[in-house]
Amino acid sequence: MGARNRRHAIVTAVAVVLLAAIAATMSSYPVYLLSLAMINIIAAVGLNLLTGNSGQISLCHSSFMAIGAYSSTLLTVRFGVPFWAAILLGAALAALLGALLGAPASRLRGIYLALATLGFLQIVQIVIEEFANVTGGVRGLTVPKPTLGGVRVSEYARFLIVLGLCALAIWTARNLLASRIGRELNAVRLSPHAAQALGVSVHRVRLAAFALSAAYAGVAGGLQAVVVGFIDPVEFGVSASLRQITFIVVGGMGSVGGSVIGAAVLSAMPEVLRPVKEYSDLIYTAILLGFLIFLPHGLVTLWHRVTPRTPRADAAPAPGSTAP
Amino acid sequence: MTLTLALQLAIAGISVGAIYALVALAIVIPFKASGVLNFGQGEIVTFGAYATLILTQLALPYPVVLVSVLVLGATGGIAIERALIRPIVKAPEFTLVIATFAIGLLIKGAISIKFGDSPNTIDGPFGSDPIIAAGLRFNPTALWICACTALVTVLVIAFFRYMRLGKAMRAVSINPEAARLMGIRVETVYRWSWAISTAIGALAGLLVAPLIGINPEIGQLILRGLLGAVIGGFTSVPGAIVGGVAVGLIETYSGVLVGSAFKNLVPFILLMVLLVFRPQGLFGTAEIKRV
Repeated sequence: MGARNRRHAIVTAVAVVLLAAIAATMSSYPVYLLSLAMINIIAAVGLNLLTGNSGQISLCHSSFMAIGAYSSTLLTVRFGVPFWAAILLGAALAALLGALLGAPASRLRGIYLALATLGFLQIVQIVIEEFANVTGGVRGLTVPKPTLGGVRVSEYARFLIVLGLCALAIWTARNLLASRIGRELNAVRLSPHAAQALGVSVHRVRLAAFALSAAYAGVAGGLQAVVVGFIDPVEFGVSASLRQITFIVVGGMGSVGGSVIGAAVLSAMPEVLRPVKEYSDLIYTAILLGFLIFLPHGLVTLWHRVTPRTPRADAAPAPGSTAP
Repeated sequence: MTLTLALQLAIAGISVGAIYALVALAIVIPFKASGVLNFGQGEIVTFGAYATLILTQLALPYPVVLVSVLVLGATGGIAIERALIRPIVKAPEFTLVIATFAIGLLIKGAISIKFGDSPNTIDGPFGSDPIIAAGLRFNPTALWICACTALVTVLVIAFFRYMRLGKAMRAVSINPEAARLMGIRVETVYRWSWAISTAIGALAGLLVAPLIGINPEIGQLILRGLLGAVIGGFTSVPGAIVGGVAVGLIETYSGVLVGSAFKNLVPFILLMVLLVFRPQGLFGTAEIKRV
């Protein structure tokens, strides 16, 4: 394990340095796309902790992104909070609301949880649309360019912030999953009864998973607002949630590497599909459906097939399976 | 609120509620049979509405359109079940939720590419001049919707009670293994549960089209249908009807009572409250597993 961790730390550090170096030479549009891809990675890693590891369906991950995006933007615009503090506060608020939703939702399973999270998504959408004097409603909200001590943050510096937070998000998730918390998350998915019998508070773990994944989404939402410079409710609708679910299904459920691969690969899709733009949603959904039917454990299983490894105690069999 | 207004609102509520009831019914039937909740059912309604539009433009008489839409809906359901649901029917619930959602998005995506996002209008079979009786205005289209919903309800209840296939469906929903051992073809039951459900969904699209117009967003109706199904308990046919009508009434009255800003929130807050305190609904017997 020690060697594995060190190898992963080295790979991550090299990747970060490489990306930073490459981005320094690129023009602003590819850097912008890279930033969006990394924001997608942050959201996907958070969603995978909830769905892939703790085994809970969520159709409202994009709502937590919306909460992060709107609260951080409003804190910046209305109260002059520095953008980095606003993003953290937005993530904290998302985590709090995640816990509030998780408290009742974590007692629900399967379709009932899907319905509850779908209901939550609708509530967030309607609140954004109806309270237009605060949120800008369907017309959206322009996000001011971030400044630090009165100096505008350059595009490249913004990229480095996103990159740093993305690396931090991956590193945190990996460490969490290797710790007691990670084992508890997987145990709660694989057999809640056994977990409970062994002294794991199933309810508490499920609730923590909700809060944690909401915090990830909150950070991703706050960053997206800053990077894109504009937010509106359509961006955080149910199709955005489905997109994030596609990331983890395509990448691999319950695997941090899977979240990264899925989000990275699919973030490139809109660019690849630009010539057939009108079909891109259709192709996206077809990919999701194809993976669910033919490769339900995602791209990471292909990787594991070419690089067989000794099974780990915490390796998750049947990723994505919920408790019976 | 005067009595006339209250009654007029009740009529409006029951009319939209009848549509929600059909959608709820379409959701409940395959769920009862196979435990699969079709989150793509809303898009079946959209499909039915567009099928109606095309067939009407071909100047076919209304009864022909009606029958064709039912047959198209049933055929679509059989195809979806066979091609996409059966390979994963044993998969974890997550897979089924996301897969049915994705099927809905595929249908919606295909429709909006083919027809664009601009709304189309279509006339009801009985015109749109309101019938005035006892000082109340009745929209003929709405009356027609209510009549169809009532007829479908009676047919579905009779189907489950008296028909061989309906009884087989009930047996499969109670215990698929035991049903299979008794010689029931479980796959056939699944197939026809989908066929009936999607035919009802398509019928809802045909009925609602003159009322709200035809656009790719009709599928949003599923949220109201789901709420109706939750209110009624996911496994009860009469529950789905009562639940759907209840959603229509709640929506119509809350528009007047709490103002438009909160009107849209009411159904979803109700959904959350129900899921937390009474997930088996008011009529259902669904169990929730606690640890």
